Amino acid sequence: MAYAYLFKYIIIGDTGVGKSCLLLQFTDKRFQPVHDLTIGVEFGARMITIDGKQIKLQIWDTAGQESFRSITRSYYRGAAGALLVYDITRRDTFNHLTTWLEDARQHSNSNMVIMLIGNKSDLESRREVKKEEGEAFAREHGLIFMETSAKTASNVEEAFINTAKEIYEKIQEGVFDINNEANGIKIGPQHPTTNSTLSSSQGSHQAGGGCC
Amino acid sequence: MTACSAACLPACVSSVWFVFPRSRTELDERPRPLSACLSRRGAASPCGGNRSHRPVEPRRRSAMLTRVKSAVANFMGGMMAGGNNGDHPGGSDLPLKYPYSRPEFLGLSPDEIECSADHVARPILILKETRRLPWSTGYAEVINAGKSTLNEDQACCEVLVVKRRPAGCSTPNRTSEDLTFHYWALFDGHAGSGAAVVAARLLHHHVALHLQEVMEILCSPGLLPPTCLGEEAASLRGAAGAPGSPSTPPTRFFTEKKVSHESLVIGAIENAFKDMDVQIEKEKSVYNISGGCTALVVVYLLGKLYVGNAGDSRAIIVRAGEVIPMSAEFTPESERQRLQFLAYMQPHLLGNEFTHLEFPRRVQRKEVGKRMLYRDFTMSGWAYKTIEDDDLKFPLIYGEGKKARVLATIGVTRGLGDHNLKVHDSNIYIKPFLSCCPEVRVYPLAQCEHGADDVLVLGTDGLWDVLSNQEVAEAVTCFLTNCDPDDQHRYTMAAQDLIMRARGVLKDRGWRIPNDRLGSGDDISVFIIPLAYGNKQS
Repeated sequence: MAYAYLFKYIIIGDTGVGKSCLLLQFTDKRFQPVHDLTIGVEFGARMITIDGKQIKLQIWDTAGQESFRSITRSYYRGAAGALLVYDITRRDTFNHLTTWLEDARQHSNSNMVIMLIGNKSDLESRREVKKEEGEAFAREHGLIFMETSAKTASNVEEAFINTAKEIYEKIQEGVFDINNEANGIKIGPQHPTTNSTLSSSQGSHQAGGGCC
Repeated sequence: MTACSAACLPACVSSVWFVFPRSRTELDERPRPLSACLSRRGAASPCGGNRSHRPVEPRRRSAMLTRVKSAVANFMGGMMAGGNNGDHPGGSDLPLKYPYSRPEFLGLSPDEIECSADHVARPILILKETRRLPWSTGYAEVINAGKSTLNEDQACCEVLVVKRRPAGCSTPNRTSEDLTFHYWALFDGHAGSGAAVVAARLLHHHVALHLQEVMEILCSPGLLPPTCLGEEAASLRGAAGAPGSPSTPPTRFFTEKKVSHESLVIGAIENAFKDMDVQIEKEKSVYNISGGCTALVVVYLLGKLYVGNAGDSRAIIVRAGEVIPMSAEFTPESERQRLQFLAYMQPHLLGNEFTHLEFPRRVQRKEVGKRMLYRDFTMSGWAYKTIEDDDLKFPLIYGEGKKARVLATIGVTRGLGDHNLKVHDSNIYIKPFLSCCPEVRVYPLAQCEHGADDVLVLGTDGLWDVLSNQEVAEAVTCFLTNCDPDDQHRYTMAAQDLIMRARGVLKDRGWRIPNDRLGSGDDISVFIIPLAYGNKQS
């Protein structure tokens, strides 16, 4: 399907925080209570619309286990956005955020947009990490923040789409060199078919602006 | 684009292709004129075509194979899928036989296939958690670092059931069960993905067809393969033996070579390779089947593992930490004498541009009349000869190690496809020098005891270019011993670990493995097959 841009995302965070479930909820709109451990990398994709433009999100869901860390690290490169996920019912997953963030900053391109996600917001009774703590961590490290529930789908769309909006804004500001695929952004093979002449001339103009 | 970018590689990058000193780098992908021997009807059969040397209608025979339905479905799908895979812009206008894909057992969606082709992050694809291969076989693969748009490796893993041919055949008339065999295969494509895709879809059907021909003999362990079918009774009893008395020891009136069951399986695999190659050649007149491929095939049948190899992939058994090589690579260096002899016998194949002799380096005009080191097809050592004008031609085999090339074009000397491959800017075909015949080695699996960490490792050359047999054995053994023995994904995780070790990580100066060694920039595919399952089966 034609898209104006393709953004590559990576989902990271401790094992069992719900990375694969967030992806499944976003791409398939369903929740799978028992999910096999991810032992490598899995992919998902979905089309969204921002500013009237079709944007394809290509999402890499990684293994959270420590033993796969070196493999996971090698996938940061070439991602435009990262969802850094912890589980609000497990304090240790929140405590490990600093390590994840260091990893991400070290192995990704500096413009990568990082969204911090406190998942499992439906389990209020078992909450161990206050929402304010998540907000404070995000503020301190310059991340966007949201609490989500992959089970009820609460904020899942928003998490993925808000990240895309942030990347899109950065493109408009000329922060990303969209001609370099290592930045995790690809210009679509064709621009949307409606009023094609207009949009394609716009597109090429923007592409030119982006690289200057 | 694939062939071109591959050909434009710097010489340090390992690849089947080579930067030829006379810039013979691009491959002619124009379709060959339709020759009279190619049959259109033959091209339209999913399983082997109308092979002139095999009188039985292949469609009818193949219908006895349980897997054939899917083959036909694939075939129909292949017919529908027209267009170009983007693999070869400006190449053939013919439709693809099968659309480009990743191995069927990975069950990837088009989106996932798109993700897998990321040359920047090079994701290691593994068998999904929800899927299982026979024997809990592990599998992982990774795309190249940019030498071709697509991953040109392919893989296949199947359990096939061969059914007995219907009555009326002249083979021994006894009841026999279905014959089940396990099959694993890796294909490493070059100059396009077409041949590898076709071979991954069809080679096992050819193996099944050939095994079907001899299955009743194979299923009768006490029966030596009859020398001549239809005369097996006479052959067993002797010409004058009394009928109906099988206990009478056979009296032979002339000496007869005894052929083992094992040799029949080897013959079946060898002929399957040949038929696959013939099918690709025939179907090139109606389909766009780009390039060629190596083939490494494992068949498990009646307690034995048969490893057939045509190309430069490799199979090793790791048993109690020890390495047992199960294949040898076929390269310009390892096959030098065969190639030189062919060129000596049929000099026209060299198009008056190449010499079959080998010299340590290119001969210069000013050296004519001097004596220089050389090697002919009769030699493994070196000697001196007086240089003549003819010796100024480009050597048939040139380059060293991974850079050695036949006719300055290809670095692997056995495999399937490549029928249209020519020396750049010439009419010299490479195919006569390439053999589709595999070397088949046998491992008596059921006769040996195996632990959970004893495995057969299959890898394309991307793995073996950077890791030695010993390094692979140590890595696999170390990984498996530190793994939960009940984890059914342990072999896939071990395969992922191996690929990670061979691919390395992207540093400022390219892909690196520990000790600053160069990682593999090639496509890499790995099967890890646990051998203990074979013991459980038998």
